[in-house]
Formats: sequence, C-alpha cells, structure tokens
Amino acid sequence: MKLDLENVAPALRDGEAVAEGDHQSPPRSVGATMVCGFCSTGCGLNIHLRDGEAINLTPAADYPVNLGMACPKGWEALAVLKAADRATQPLLRDARGHLRPVDWPAALTAFCQRFKTIQQAHGPHSVAFLSTGQIATEEMALLGCLAKFGMGLLHGDGNTRQCMATAVVAYKEAFGFDAPPYSYADLEESDVIVLVGSNLCIAHPILWQRICLNRQRPEIIAVDPRTTETAMAATLHLPLRPKSDLTLFYGIAHLLIREQWVDRDFIDAHTAGFEQFSEHVAAFTPERVAKATGIDQATLHRVARIIHRGQRVSFWWTMGVNQSYEGVRTAQSLINLALMTGSIGRPGTGANSITGQCNAMGSRLFSNTTNLLGGHDFANPNHRQKIADVLGIDAGSIPAQGSWAYDQIIAGILAGKIKGLWVIGTNPAHSWINQNTLRDILGRLDFLVVQDMYHTTETAQLAHLVLPAAAWGEKDGTFINSERRIGLIKKVARAPGQALADFTIFQLIAEYWGFGQLFARWSSPEAVFRILQQASRGQPCDISGIEGYRMLEEAGGVQWPFPEAPSGEGDDVRLESLTYESLTYGRRLFADGRFYHADGRARFVFDAPARMPEEPNVRYPLLLLTGRGTTAQWHTQTRSGKSAVLRKLAPRELYAEVNPLDARRAKVRPNQWMMIESQRGAIKAKAFVTPAVPVGSVFVPMHYAAANQLTLAHFDPHSRQPSYKDCAVRIRPLERWDSA
Amino acid sequence: MPALAPLTAESTSLIEMLLTAQQQLSAVEAFALCESSGVEPVDGRYRSLIPLSLPEPGQQYAFEVDLDRCSGCKACVAACHNLNGLEEEELWRSVGLLHGGTNQLPVIQHVTTACHHCLEPACLQGCPVRAYEKDPQTGIVRHLDDQCIGCQYCILTCPYDVPKYSKQKGIVRKCDMCRTRLAEGEAPACVQACPTRAIRITVIDQQEASDDCETNLFLPGAPEPGHTLPTTVYKTARPLPGNLLPADYYAAAPQHAHWPLVFMLVLTQMSVGVFLADQWPRLIAGDRGEPLAHRYAIDLALWLGLAGIGASLLHLGRPWYAYRAVLGLRTSWLSREILAFSLYGGLLLVCAGMAWLQRWGVHVPGTLTGAAETSACVFGLAGVGCSVMIYVRTRRPFWSAGATTTKFSLTCALLGLAGALLVWAVAAARSPESATDPMMSELRHQACRWLAAAVLVKLLLECSVILQLRRTRHGPLKRTALLMTGELKPVMQGRLLLAAFGGVALPLLLATGWTMGASEPTQPLFAVAAHTLIVAAMLIGELMERYLFFTAVVAPKMPGAPAS
Repeated sequence: MKLDLENVAPALRDGEAVAEGDHQSPPRSVGATMVCGFCSTGCGLNIHLRDGEAINLTPAADYPVNLGMACPKGWEALAVLKAADRATQPLLRDARGHLRPVDWPAALTAFCQRFKTIQQAHGPHSVAFLSTGQIATEEMALLGCLAKFGMGLLHGDGNTRQCMATAVVAYKEAFGFDAPPYSYADLEESDVIVLVGSNLCIAHPILWQRICLNRQRPEIIAVDPRTTETAMAATLHLPLRPKSDLTLFYGIAHLLIREQWVDRDFIDAHTAGFEQFSEHVAAFTPERVAKATGIDQATLHRVARIIHRGQRVSFWWTMGVNQSYEGVRTAQSLINLALMTGSIGRPGTGANSITGQCNAMGSRLFSNTTNLLGGHDFANPNHRQKIADVLGIDAGSIPAQGSWAYDQIIAGILAGKIKGLWVIGTNPAHSWINQNTLRDILGRLDFLVVQDMYHTTETAQLAHLVLPAAAWGEKDGTFINSERRIGLIKKVARAPGQALADFTIFQLIAEYWGFGQLFARWSSPEAVFRILQQASRGQPCDISGIEGYRMLEEAGGVQWPFPEAPSGEGDDVRLESLTYESLTYGRRLFADGRFYHADGRARFVFDAPARMPEEPNVRYPLLLLTGRGTTAQWHTQTRSGKSAVLRKLAPRELYAEVNPLDARRAKVRPNQWMMIESQRGAIKAKAFVTPAVPVGSVFVPMHYAAANQLTLAHFDPHSRQPSYKDCAVRIRPLERWDSA
Repeated sequence: MPALAPLTAESTSLIEMLLTAQQQLSAVEAFALCESSGVEPVDGRYRSLIPLSLPEPGQQYAFEVDLDRCSGCKACVAACHNLNGLEEEELWRSVGLLHGGTNQLPVIQHVTTACHHCLEPACLQGCPVRAYEKDPQTGIVRHLDDQCIGCQYCILTCPYDVPKYSKQKGIVRKCDMCRTRLAEGEAPACVQACPTRAIRITVIDQQEASDDCETNLFLPGAPEPGHTLPTTVYKTARPLPGNLLPADYYAAAPQHAHWPLVFMLVLTQMSVGVFLADQWPRLIAGDRGEPLAHRYAIDLALWLGLAGIGASLLHLGRPWYAYRAVLGLRTSWLSREILAFSLYGGLLLVCAGMAWLQRWGVHVPGTLTGAAETSACVFGLAGVGCSVMIYVRTRRPFWSAGATTTKFSLTCALLGLAGALLVWAVAAARSPESATDPMMSELRHQACRWLAAAVLVKLLLECSVILQLRRTRHGPLKRTALLMTGELKPVMQGRLLLAAFGGVALPLLLATGWTMGASEPTQPLFAVAAHTLIVAAMLIGELMERYLFFTAVVAPKMPGAPAS
C-alpha cells in the first residue's frame, strides 16, 4: 500500500553512480517535508523540527519537483514568519480613524454587523471579496462556499486574476478545460524549448534547473524584448518589439503551413478549426511579421525550421503573455503551434503555461469564484445540483451566474454598487494596476476588511478591520503547483499572538454570521479535502482517487487527474499500476489525443492582433515594461521583504532599467535618480543604464509599490487580466524641486 | 461604529479553544516524519562537483565558477547563510552582475563570488594577531575565529570585500570553503545548493594560478589580481565583450566612518606633533627654552597620546585581547603601529615623570631626559609612519602613499603647532617673565605663520581631489570626488570653514600681534583664549578631514548588483 520512496529515489539522481554506503551519515534529526509557499513551482522543503517546531529547513532531496534545490525565497521561508510586524490581534478602526486592537469576538461581531448592515441597505451583492493564490485550497474552498452559500455574496475574485486568468481562458477555449498539460519532466525531455515572456532563470529558478538537467542539448528559444538571464542562456533570443508576440507566432504558423511542416494526421484526428486558422495566418507573411516584430525574416525561417526539426517541441509561457491586453489570443497562438505540429501529449511537448503563485491552481479549480467548485459552471443547472448534493445544501442557494472579475468589482465600488470589501491575503493597494485610482476607489468603501499575516501592507493600512492570519507553516492544507501536483503544507510553527489560520477565521465567520451548521462537515482541512475530492468527481481534475493527506505525503504530491479506480478493482490493483515514474516523476495530459470539448477535439482560436491602447508618443516617448526583479523578491515584498537575507539580495531602492541611448537623450546619468512619468503618476527611480533593455523602453520591477502608479488600467477582454506591461512614459533627471 | 452584540459565553470559549488549537503543532503526529540529516541535501549527486583527492604539493583547492551556468538565482548565498548558521545580516557569498555589449548584442552576466583563497592573501598579511592561516595542504585561507580581536583591518586589506565583521561576536568571519564539509566528502553549501551546478571545487596548480594572475585574466570588473593572486577560476565559453561593467559601477555610497580610528589617528598625530613642535624653541634657544611650557607640552602630548591609544581600543571587537596585537609584527603594519605607539606612550610617561621629578627638585641628568625625548620623537614618528603604511597597503587610490603621508604629516605639523602655541600661551599666562621674552614672542608669531601655511597646503591637497570631477573616466578618485561634493558635501564644507577660520584667519591675525585691543594685563589671557579657539577649530576640522578620509574612500570589490 505504502509507496516505498527509498527504493525509487535513486531514479532521480540523474544517472550519477552512488556507491553504496560511501557517504558518512551526518547527525540525524527529525524533519517534515512540505511544499514551499511562495511560487507555483511547489518545491518540497524539509523542515527540521525540534519538539515539533520548525528550527530550520533545507530543500528536500527526494521531492520530485526540486530534487534538493530551492531558490533564496525557499531557503528563507521560515525567516519571514518571525517579522515584528506580524498581525497578532484584530484591529478595528475607531471613531477617530485609528486602528485599535480588539479581541476576536468584537472583531467578528463588527465583521458580521457591518457587512449585514451594508447588505440590508444595498442588497446582498453589495459586499464582495478579493482572495489570493497564497492560501490552501481547502481555505479557498471554504471561503468561496461560505461567502456565496452562507453570506449570500455573488462577487468574489482572486489575485490570480492578475497572473493566471489569461492561461485559464486560453486553455478553456482551446482544450475545453483549464488544464495545463505538462509535467516538469517535460523540461528535461524536450529537444526544442520555446520560452515566451518568461524569465525562467529569475522567476522560476528551479524550473530552469530542470532545463539544465536536460540531456538532449535542447534548442532554447527565448522570446522577450529584454535581454534577460534566460535570454542570455538561450540558444536563440528573439528580442521582439513589445506586444508584437501575437503577430510573431501567427507568422511562425504561416511559415510552418507554407512549408507543410504541420502534423496533418494529428490536426485531422484531434483538432477543429485548422482551415479557418490557415486562412487567418495566410496574411502573416514573413515580410509583414518582420516589419511588425523587428525580427528579421531569416530568423523567422530559422525558428520555423527549429520547430519543424524538433522531435519534442514544447512551448512555455509566463507573465509576458498572460499580463497582456491580448494575452488569451497570444497564449492560444502558442497552443495553436503545439496543436498544428502535434506537439502535445508526448514527452517533452506541450503548450505549457507556468503558473505564478503557490496555489494559483487551487484557486482556479476550487475557489468557487468565477467557476463553481471543482471547475464547474455556475450557469449549468446540472452542475449546481451536483455540487449542492456533494455539499448537502439546497441547489437554490447556488447562484446561477459567476462572479464579477477583479476589475469589475473595483469598477463596482466606483459605481457605488459594492460598498463592503473583504480582502484576504493580497495587497491590491500595491499590486493593482493604476494604483492611485485604485487607492482612491478603496477609500470609497463603507467597510474594508483585510485579512493578512502582516498588519503593515499598503492595503491593511487602508482597512477598517484587520484580521490577523496565521501564515504558511502555521497551518495545514494543500497547494496545487504548475504541473497540477497537489502537495501538502503543514503546521510546523506557532502563529504569533492571536493570529488564526484563515481556515479557522472562515469557520468563525460562518459561526458568527449564523450559518455555522451549513459547514458542520467542513471541520478540518483534511475533511474539506475529502469534500473537494467528491466535488471533482467526473471532472478533468478528478482527484477522487487520492487517499487523503497521507497519500500526498507518501508519494511526494500527486498530480491531477487521479480518479478513483473503476469499481471492481481494489486499491491494491490500482496502486500497483501507479509506478513511481508515473506518480511522482510526471504525468502529462492528452496522451490519447482526446481533449475536454464534447467532441474530444481541441480548437484553434485566433483573432486579429490589436494595437496597444497607449503607444509611446511625442509627450511620453518610452514604453514601460514591468516584471520580476530578482529571485529574492516575491510580488509586493509583503513577505520576502521581511528576511534580512532576501533584503540584501535585492536592490533596496526602486531602480529602472534604461537603454543608454534613451538615457543620453533624456540627460539621465547612470545611477542617477530620475523621474518616470506617465499620464497617471510620477515616480522616482534610480537609473540602471544598460543595453539589456531595448531602446525605447523602460523596465521597472513590480516589487516596489511605486511601479503601479504609472500603469494603465486596461485588460484582456476575454480573461479580464490586467495588461501591466505596456503604457507610455517619459523620463527626466530628478530636479531639486521634485518631492522626495 | 455600531454597538457590539453582547458576547455569549459559548462563542468566547469557542475562540479560546481555536486559539489554543492554533498553537498546537500538528506536523509530528499528523504526518510521517522523514529522518532527515541536519545538512540536506546529501547524496551522491554532488560528488562530481568536488575533487576526488587531496591536492598534491604545489596544488590547492579552488572555487571554479562556470559563468555560462550562473543564472543569478542566488541560491548559493542563501544556502551558505543557512547551512553555515550565519547571523541574520551576515553573508559570506554574494552575486554581482556584469553588463555591457551593444544595443545589437547586449550582455548580462551574473557572477557568484566568495573568498578567493588567494595565494598571497592580503587579509593574512595585514592581520596583527595572525588570525589567518593558509592551510598548507588544501590552500584554504582560514580565519581563526578565536584568535581574532576584531580590529577589522583585514576588511580594509582584502581587495574583494570578503571578511565580514560581526558586531555581536566582536570578530570577523569569512568563507572557509566549508572545509569541514569537504573533509567529510561533502560539497560546500554553495556547491550543493546551486540548481545549475555553476560552482564546483577543483584542484589547481598554484604556479599556474599565479601565472594567470600575471596576465590579468581574472574577471572583468574585478580588482587587479596581481596583488593577492586569487585562485577562483571563472570560466566561460562565450567571449565576454570588452565593455562589461559591474552593475554597481556608478554607485558610490559613503564607507564606514570608523570613528575610533578617526580619533585615534588625529589624537596620536597631534600628540606627536605637539611633542615635536615643543622641541623647536629648545633647538633654537637650548636651555633658555621655557621649562614650564615644556612640561605642559609633554603633559599635553601624553594625554593626547593616551586618548588616541584608548580610542583605538574602542575600535576592537574584543579589546581585552589587544595585547595579542604584536604577534603579526613580521607582516602587519598594524602590529608595527601598535608597537610603535605603545613604546611612544611609554616613553612619554617617562618624559613626563622626569619633568615632574625636576619640578620637585630632583636632579635628572640632561642626557637621560634628552635620550628619552629623542626616543619618544623617533617612536612617535615611527608610529605615524606605520599609520600611513596601514592605509597605503590597502592600495586604495584615495589612500595613496603620497596623499596619506602628506595628510598625516601635515596633521602632525598643524595640530602640533596649534597645540604648542596653546601650551606656550598658557605658560606665558602663568609665568609673566616669559610673556615678555622677545624670542618666544617672535617664535609664536612665526609659528602662527607656519601654521597658516601648513593649513593652506593641506586644504589645497584635500580639495585637489575635486579636480577629478573633470575626468571622463569614472575611476575611484572621481567617485571619491562625487561623494565629497554629493552626500558628504556638508562635512566637506564644515571642514573647510573651520580650517579657514581657525587655521588661517585667526593665526594670521595673531601673527600680526593683534590682541583685539585687550589691555596689557589681560593680553596673556586673550592669547590663551585665542589659541584655545584655534586648537578647537583645528582639532574638529582635522577630525572631519579624517572622517572624510574613511567615508569618501572607494574600496575595491567584486562586481555588485544594481542599486545595491
């Protein structure tokens, strides 16, 4: 029954001979392996325990994701729990406008009374919530269900809207379900790896590690306007013009079709819409594409040829694609390339979206916000009935429509339709696009509740009520990583003061609101996990076969799908069929060529490329690019800024990369303070003058709160994901009269 | 704010129960625990990254960094911090960035760096207590923590910014290539934590390493390797463009001020200066020199000297081990300085003792006082010379031999003159007959003129670095000039004002015999007040100058990260 990892682990040791007993055994101590709580890579960390409490950690050598490695954030994961500004008690804003400590009963009573009052005055949907990809799946599910089925809310979204919504919609339309098809092992199996808008070396260093373990000497094509670390390490860098990616991939598709380098058999058997797509890309001639992208025709041909010659071609993308006003179509242009070359369902292939946050996929599948629990559809009465049965609630209490997206909730506040907002584990006052406007909008709320592990986030400072949350490492639950692997988090540290797990806070709110009975079965994270397993039954993300947390523990996480064995087969039979390879080292989707649309066919989805809404112009001649700065910084630095080591590994002050040519034109000297101005704001940044950023653009790392004062609020129309990486700015040297 | 609902006993106890439950750690009972080693990850996969055998004679271990693989993830830094149990802010490894190329072909290159375990380690040579040793077998440059007195001189001598000072422990620590791990057949923390296997330990031939340093092929943007002969091998298959610059090349932040050293240098130099200046009238006039003034001068020199030596103790992390500081006499200028000033201090005590004996009527042979005073002069000057060498040895352009020698000796001269003038004025006020001594009066005027001249020369020298601003090249001296006219400008301005007033204007006025119209009997008192003002202004001015000496210097280092 129990999988014996000891016997299979050598398979991971990438072929190097290990002489039996040839190493000294160091002093032994007790450890617990759990998944890291920063990014979606989902590395296993071995937590060293003394009396059950974490004293240190090391990356787990036998975890199938990271193979003994971690980035600095992982190494420092425990350090950030001890910060002085942890929220240790509920804080309620008093009549004079000061946040004052109150006890939990007072906080919960205020929460319920204030939100109920708003709902009575403005209707039940006038309260909304914004959640996160940083809490456990079980917590997200409880939040989504209690908000919608208990509190009667309709609108709730996650900060995953800022990172993954585009991939979700792209997959749904193309495959019929939000299903990243790959395993990390594919990075080791590919002979051609196309990385689009993804600085893997910095954003996902452990996935870059997996590429370094690739023994096929792969061609690595990095598509990025900037000369990033990944672009440097690639065998071919395509420094295309910002936001010309959709044109580029249509152009590659054009060449593949023209040269008849497509997999006709696969297209005929497993896809729909190829003919229309062929007609669409017929206009994307190399001349046109070269002109639009700045990539010369010879290089375009070279790329097409590399893709054609590759036996195992994989396409990977991250925020460069997702955070775009036409991100869904761009992602689908990559999916199209994979489909037309039959590069899917085989080892080392796929159109693969790399996720951002540690539990973005938990949010996508189980947060009960835009999708009904388990990737179901609110609009589908059968789905509502199914979930109602699983949860033991009245199907009538499930709304027949999904939630507004994040930006629509914000617009709803502005329109006076949303009066109360509950923010959990995210920091919109730093991270949301066009920040100055957003802060003004948040100021219009009648009641803003922020539930976070720190009381100092930019958003918590604006709150009427702050609820202190226990952090990763201080609670149990599961995360789902980029390769669909469900992994465990465990309680190995004591939460400070009166901080409580988000799960417990949700339970208490159900209790204080008055519908505690509705969630009587949701007694613990593991109990909820079992409910979610039931909810997933029959879905592509079916995990009904997982035998509780213990199986996740023993297998080093389990990838979905993992359905229950068909009746008649015993557990032992099924587990036997699960080799170590398949369970831990990676399983990919679509090996049978069947996609999740009713007809089993994948769709070619496409559109005409659009111009960016705010192109550089005479007054604002440069384009602002934003993105990740260093491996030591995570998002708004709410957590990573609390580690002395991580702070030392990242620039202390906001800096911006400027091309030497643009710097000279603007009379900005290297390392000089300069002002970056857009139509929406002006910020101070140190000039890092480098040719790594192309002429005509400025790169600002997103980790500093100021960055989003500049950005332009515009969204992908299909995914509602903000387009953070294109707006017009100008630079000038800082003058004495500029405020500090 | 609506009134809160009355709390029920039930709900309160529920919360208490949940708060209690939150504090119970579940991982142990709920999950299978893995037997884990204290130092994970451990298995055979790192074996190819460390040498199979010990170095032969003429060989040693060295870090080898494959630049093509270093992707800037910095896991090595975090792992080194974690596995070596470093203090919160203490890092032994760092990752810098080189960038350059052209707009057509830009290049960025991260560089991981730690101790280079040099063939001729400057840290080792500078250490006054021999707290460094180069392991004869492995070549690892090891810091012996228990020997260290926390003088931090190695931090100044190492051109790669490797040794790190721990305030809490009062000592310096540094990378030892995880020698205990290596001895166990384990890879060092950075080696085993590198996801891309960019770092390995190799065995190198020391002669080859030395030859390589001759040709200056270490790493673009790194300090010139000929000085300490670093052994780290940076290799790349890509041709690096010639215009690669460290990402922090244009950044210049003020360095540590080392306040105890600021006081130590200025006070010891003033002490030596006063002692020497007081010899001046005695050389001219022989025994006619004023005995009272002489005694005061010796006392002043003594107290200044002791205060300076005392200040230097404050600089040490573990001052109670200061006595060890002579161990490094053979190589360390710091040891030599400490020895010279200790002898100087002792001789000053002897001189002062003899002066007081004479005052109480005990006859002390002139040869004895002469010998003691001459020896004090010699050791005092030797001490100042050693001070100069301490900084010259760090090879920082701002601390060049010429500039440092001139600065330190002019500080001696002008603070010595100012001090001696004050002493003479006090003596004159105490014994009226000497006040009317025409020789002393003329001498004082002459001293005032010399003082003003010395100050002017010194100010010109100090300001001359500003001329570097006109240079196109962003060299270390230009960066010093930028700091002095930028962040450190207020200090620079204050320093100039004080010197102009107390060191030039006032002495020149006094040299003309100006007494501000003081009546005859109050003139000596006026002189005392005026010379006190001069000494105060000069002393503060020199302290500011020495503060700038430390803060405006640009220290050599390995390439750093942007805006760091």
